[in-house]
Amino acid sequence: MYFLTGWPRRLLCPLKSEEEPFHIQPSSQRFYFALVSETQISIWFSRPSVLIVSYIESVKAAAQFGFYQKAEWKPDDSMIAVATAKGYILLFDVLGGGDDKYLYEPVYPKGSPRVKVTPGYKEEQCAPALSLEMKKPVDLEAPITSLQSLQENLLVCTADGYLHVLHWDGQGSNGRKAVCLTTIPFSLDLQSARAGPALDLEGAYICCMEYCVTLDGFAVVLSDGRLGFITPLSNTIIADQLQGVWAADVSDGTCVAVNNKYRLMAFGCASGSVLVYMIDTTTGSMQLSHKLELTPKHYPDIYNKTGAVKVICWSPDCSVAMVTWECGGLSLWSVFGAHLICTLGEDFAHRSDGTKKEPLRISSMSWGAEGYHLWVLPSNQGRRRKEEHSMEEDSPPHPFLRAGILQFHFIKSALTVNPCTSNQEHVLLHGEDRLYLTCGDPTQIHSTSDAHPRTHLHPHDGSPLHQPAHPDSSLSQGLSTLLGHKHWHVVQIHSTYLESNWPIRFAAIDTAGQCMAVAGRRGFAHYSLFTRKWKLFGNITQEQNMTVTGGLAWWNDFVVVACYNFTDQQEQLRLYQRSSNLDNAFASVTKLHADTLLLNVFRDMIILFRADCSICLYSIEKRNEGLGQSASVELLQEVSMSRYIPHPALVVSVTLTSVRTETGITLKAPQQACTAESIMLNLAGQLIMLQRDRSGPQVREKETPVINKKLLPFSPPVVLAQCVENVWTTCRSNKKKRHLLEALWLSCGEAGMKVWLPLFPRDHRKPHSFLSRRIMLPFHINIYPLAVLFEDALVLGATNETVLYDGLQGSSEPLEALFPYCTVERTSQIYLHHILRQLLVRNLGEQALMLAQSCASLPYFPHVMELMVHVVLEEEATSREPIPDPLLPTKTEYALWNYLFAAVGNPKDLFEECLMAQDLDTAASYLIILQNMEVPAVSRQHATLLFNTALEKGKWDLCRHMIRFLKAIGSGEMDTPPPTPSTQEPSSTGAFEFFRNRSISLSQSADSISMGKFNLQKTFSMPTGSSPKGAECAENMYIDMMLWRHARHLLEQVRLRDLGCFSAQLGFELIGWLCRERNRVARVDDFVSALKKLHEDFLWPFPVIPVGSLSSPLKNGRCRPVLSTQLLESQSADSLLNSDMDTAPPLAVPINHTWTDSLGQRSKDTDTASSAHSNQNSPQTYDAFLSLVTNKVEEYSIGSATDLTETSSMVDGDWMMVDENSSTLSLSQAELEHISMELANKGPHKSQVQLRYLLHVFMEPGCLEWCVVIGLILRDTNVIKQVISFLDNPEVPAETVQSIRKGLLAVDTWASSDSLGYNPF
Amino acid sequence: MQNWAGLTTLRFRMIEVVASMARGPVFLAGELMECLITFTNPMSHLSTSASSEMLAWASAQIHCQFHASENRVALPTRGNKQDVQAESDTVLIPSRGERGQCVLDTPPKILFCDLRLDPGERKTYSYSEVVPVDGPPSFRGQAVKYVYKLTIGCQRVNSPIKLLRVPFRVLVLQGMPEPPFPQDEEVSPSNPFLEEEEVSRRDARPLERALDMLMVTTSRRSPHMFNITNTRGKVAKFCIFKTVYRLGEEIIGTFNFSEGDIPCLQYSVSLQSEEEIQEQYQRRPGQAVSVTGHGRHLESCLHTASSHFSLPIPLNVTPGFSTDVVALRWRLHFEFVTAREPMEPPTVLQNQAEVTVWAGAEHVDVDTFSWNLPIKVLPTNPALASYVSQFTGTNSIHI
Repeated sequence: MYFLTGWPRRLLCPLKSEEEPFHIQPSSQRFYFALVSETQISIWFSRPSVLIVSYIESVKAAAQFGFYQKAEWKPDDSMIAVATAKGYILLFDVLGGGDDKYLYEPVYPKGSPRVKVTPGYKEEQCAPALSLEMKKPVDLEAPITSLQSLQENLLVCTADGYLHVLHWDGQGSNGRKAVCLTTIPFSLDLQSARAGPALDLEGAYICCMEYCVTLDGFAVVLSDGRLGFITPLSNTIIADQLQGVWAADVSDGTCVAVNNKYRLMAFGCASGSVLVYMIDTTTGSMQLSHKLELTPKHYPDIYNKTGAVKVICWSPDCSVAMVTWECGGLSLWSVFGAHLICTLGEDFAHRSDGTKKEPLRISSMSWGAEGYHLWVLPSNQGRRRKEEHSMEEDSPPHPFLRAGILQFHFIKSALTVNPCTSNQEHVLLHGEDRLYLTCGDPTQIHSTSDAHPRTHLHPHDGSPLHQPAHPDSSLSQGLSTLLGHKHWHVVQIHSTYLESNWPIRFAAIDTAGQCMAVAGRRGFAHYSLFTRKWKLFGNITQEQNMTVTGGLAWWNDFVVVACYNFTDQQEQLRLYQRSSNLDNAFASVTKLHADTLLLNVFRDMIILFRADCSICLYSIEKRNEGLGQSASVELLQEVSMSRYIPHPALVVSVTLTSVRTETGITLKAPQQACTAESIMLNLAGQLIMLQRDRSGPQVREKETPVINKKLLPFSPPVVLAQCVENVWTTCRSNKKKRHLLEALWLSCGEAGMKVWLPLFPRDHRKPHSFLSRRIMLPFHINIYPLAVLFEDALVLGATNETVLYDGLQGSSEPLEALFPYCTVERTSQIYLHHILRQLLVRNLGEQALMLAQSCASLPYFPHVMELMVHVVLEEEATSREPIPDPLLPTKTEYALWNYLFAAVGNPKDLFEECLMAQDLDTAASYLIILQNMEVPAVSRQHATLLFNTALEKGKWDLCRHMIRFLKAIGSGEMDTPPPTPSTQEPSSTGAFEFFRNRSISLSQSADSISMGKFNLQKTFSMPTGSSPKGAECAENMYIDMMLWRHARHLLEQVRLRDLGCFSAQLGFELIGWLCRERNRVARVDDFVSALKKLHEDFLWPFPVIPVGSLSSPLKNGRCRPVLSTQLLESQSADSLLNSDMDTAPPLAVPINHTWTDSLGQRSKDTDTASSAHSNQNSPQTYDAFLSLVTNKVEEYSIGSATDLTETSSMVDGDWMMVDENSSTLSLSQAELEHISMELANKGPHKSQVQLRYLLHVFMEPGCLEWCVVIGLILRDTNVIKQVISFLDNPEVPAETVQSIRKGLLAVDTWASSDSLGYNPF
Repeated sequence: MQNWAGLTTLRFRMIEVVASMARGPVFLAGELMECLITFTNPMSHLSTSASSEMLAWASAQIHCQFHASENRVALPTRGNKQDVQAESDTVLIPSRGERGQCVLDTPPKILFCDLRLDPGERKTYSYSEVVPVDGPPSFRGQAVKYVYKLTIGCQRVNSPIKLLRVPFRVLVLQGMPEPPFPQDEEVSPSNPFLEEEEVSRRDARPLERALDMLMVTTSRRSPHMFNITNTRGKVAKFCIFKTVYRLGEEIIGTFNFSEGDIPCLQYSVSLQSEEEIQEQYQRRPGQAVSVTGHGRHLESCLHTASSHFSLPIPLNVTPGFSTDVVALRWRLHFEFVTAREPMEPPTVLQNQAEVTVWAGAEHVDVDTFSWNLPIKVLPTNPALASYVSQFTGTNSIHI
């Protein structure tokens, strides 16, 4: 496939002229380009792209002949015919300037190191010298509309309705023949009666014509816009030997281009669309194959304003067509209509500031050699006209300009010319001078996924810690990074090889993706990613004496080439070993008897397609010969295909496969699956399969393994598919993924992809007799497929992307400003859901299940299931609107689900199974299905189940989705819903009403699907109904109830940490809820166990008794001096306990900063606290308090020193208050000081922040018991004091006071017995 | 040991040690490297001769070997730090038996002591270590090499230490500022419970931060325009859109020849790295830098008005860096083949009485001249570089 890269290159004619060329015509090999302007014909060379010669007509001749219009090359490049406006054909001889005469040869100063002496240097660096000489003109006496070169003849159409046949070498009118269009009989097909000359052709003439070799006829566009095809019935063009067919119902044709390889005729129309026709081989009629049209979806503002199609150009390898319109622009299409590029949209049409650009108008274009370049002649008429309008006085009417040519650069898939098997497993693109390959191999990543139980080393002490392995997550990560990054591995082709053998014609990569080979005009070269080195022929003569004809491929360590040997003048099959020097001495050479057109490798077999339309199979064997290895090649079989192939050039690809029509049952021995069973031949887009003929009775006997057994003959061909661009099969086999590996994958242009899937009988059942053994399933993908990863169920592709560089001020009209910079990016797509769906549509649920099971281990499998559900729902949602009776498809879909689940099991059961297995994501997928099949009550019930489990597991994303889901589900439709399918009978009429009453909005999922790119991000779309308000409220209430229940549950189990997460993640309003629950669940029954649980949950260390605490150093001492030592102690304790703190910056600066700060804050805080004490618990005061805590949190994060000081410094003042208020609790100052010391023993910083946060959450609604517990664990005396102070408040129920007292006593008892660290408290 | 082998049934005592870096063999300095080391007793538990195997200990550490070419680098005489330790057999010296000197090593981490593996049993240990930030990048130059290896040493009782080496590649992003810690705190959400998930991802942070910085520095476009002129006049205008690149990126530059006075027949752009030995270590004074080419674009441009080149920076090259011994710099090297005579394009006049045939000149007297433009090459996502690394990140031995 073709992709545009970089910017176009602009060539500039070295001559200044008033005229500007408007027609470009390539020579047959595309090494020369003839450019035509009104009175000039110029010849440019392809590489280097320089002007060779320019012929400027004299004034007298110009007046006589009229302006030049078109040019055509003689096939051997020795002549050019130019058509002029007054009906003359001017024949020019193109004369070489003598042997070895070259232009622009650089002459380096003497002694320059750049003086090269290599042979062929001039050929590489210089253009050949040519000159043009006009021969006698031929006067055809009518304006010339079309020129077409045949082998020895030149076919000219004139506006008087004649077809002239001129002999290239015929002097004057000697070799002239003319046929009048009206004498040609036209009909709709060749079978219908030979009606006489069509009467309505009076006055009509051929305005555009192209000859198609493989159809042996001319595609013509008539002046009245009709399209036709004219076949000569004999070898020569004689009036009464011509027969024409019409294309039905077209009358706006403008131009035509034929595709010789695929036998297609692309007609441009005034409407802007391109109609691609083929010839029906049986009737001879023209049949519309497909259309190339811009879609309103992608090109909303231009699709119907392009004007008529101006030029269509098929690429040299016939795999793509370039189209341009009157309004300009370039658009590229694959042979069967997949749209690749269009320059009428996006960055091509808009500047980065959003303003619109004038599209590039094109007067003529031509592909360069091998399709790496597109030579484009821009027409500046629009610009000139504008200039004339705007500043007529400034610019002279005919300025002398240097004409420009644009060269657009392309890179193309190696498959387009060399569709060998290994090229199908990797994305390999080649540009003019480089190769692009995808780096990284997904299968490699898969192979490393066999994770065994691992032992983790603790990063700090190196002790093994057992942690659950997450092979899945790392795997999917690996795959997603692989697929997510758009990086290409770019390999520049060795310049020495490239310069002497440009252009590269073939490229191949080996199955491992490590070795590449390229072949240009002569010889070949190969490269290894491992050594990063190219290998070229050591002997340049050997290189120049061979040319690769039929392509090249890798077989293990060998490069297999089909080539022509110039010395021996014969076609050869050669194998070169990669590791040895590239030299014929190390090659194994096999003589071939006819020219090779295609080459492919299947396991240890080579398959060749030859120009005599026969297929040859060779076996390859590796041999050890002394030091090196060599390969020996032996002819196995020769199959003549000439009966089936009308022209050898029509064969696009030939492959050996193990694919065959009968699978499973006839497969006696499993190893047989690997043998080469069939030949797949792409004949002009028609995929033909030839199977081995197993019908003969003598064949059966030969099934005993005989080494030299005779190979079975092939049966007559069977057509599998039409419009095939590429075919993928693999020679690998995997019993677990037989569906994927034994399938045949096809890309069919605009029709998307097709898979020829094998159907396997279930082991324990008899095969259904009605099942065919393979099924062809079409599916759409949004990328152009370049490789199929069989095991991974992935398609890899590439797309063009653009980058704008137009913000630059610089030269007057830089190309960077006119065109975006084009890059090619990798894309990939999963397709499994399409196939599963297609199987379901065809009542093959069982096969779908088997396929799904084989892929269930893929990392994105849940995503596939989800996509599938979305696709189904989307179809339901979209199909309802336009179709008056839309219920049938809905019914079938619905029935399919029933069918699938009848086979798989009840979805409810599956759902529950998933829940049991904790596979919540899959359960969620099932839920959507359930929701479509069940009464709302049932699905709600299940949703609730899932929601609760998700809550319990802390799957917050899923929880959020479930909340949305539950809200949506309640948007009450209470119609009669269908029953759960419990039998195999998919008969549920209730489904109609059910779906009708459901409005499903899938905007979100539809987007994600239409994006189509591989996206592991979950999209979870919900049915959102337009629901009555009341129902919504009820639904919200229901959800709230569940949330409350969960919160209660968490609090009852003392899971404060989970509660915190739950509230934070789901935005659960904790404080309000606690207000209500203050005297219910938000109580603490068992202080000790609550304390223990908190220690455990927050990884909070149990307090230890500091060494110094026994002697109570603070009791009578001064605060300050002691504190400074304390600070050191706590710091060191911290760093030991909590290594996180190591990363903190030096303490010095922040301490100074917060010291005074926090002191001020602290005093304020005591104010607010005391005011809170006297007043009610007003929210305002608590707000202030909260801000303090944040402040405090910061202090903690810096170091414990500050806290410590603060607490100590205020002990005296506060203590009295506490003492007064609560005589029941007696705490000595010394003990408090101990507590403050023990702050050094606190747990992780994060836990502390969280506990502080919780403390305030509990404080605000007045859940004092919890405050005490948290205060205890934090060992924050302030908290305790504060709580105690609140206990006086009349609002506080007496039982709370009691409970706290009881609880504290219990803690005290516990502390003195079990946790001595708490004892000082 | 000899006695064991002399028993009637010959037994192969063997433990297979496999070390594998799951993430790939390329790391950014400062990143946490994780390597799984699996010890397997390959004997089937059904086999009669099978027995448990014992390993006394295993430990692992990262080290960087430095090797310099004698011809180009004059190193001061080496300290004999290592030779002191080499006396004892039970001490693990990761660089033992390696060429060059060990310039950096991390503290060894003990994987286990006294491991017993029953037949068929397998145990996997995870070694993780932060790749030192202050080390040199992996580099294989013409004068100097820096090679990183993870060395796993293990020993059977009464046997010599066996070393398993896993070479890997280190990319260094020099000049990455350490963001101050409090800044990090500020961005954390106000609800401390929301922080949970972020904390779990903290491991990846240095890498993410480095990659962010890389993206910021390399995605900024700052076009530079150059008028390319030689003694005879103006040749072309050159524009490069940025001068700082990541590995694997393409360097894009445009040429405009249409405004030049001197015809240019051909130009080439080469991506080159210059390896320069710091002055005090140079073998000879004024020693030339070693230049290595990594890609070249050659184009004939005689009748070309504007063109561009794109040169891929290979993923396997070393980004620019500098140590006290060597400095690696990157540049684009340009060469232009220009005509000696300025050429005014001839004007073709229409309506001439005679036919005019214009043909190109056969010979053009030319000069060549070159120009260098320094650029910066920075590392890229190590995961990306892993895909094309010459290392596998996996190695194994049998002991």
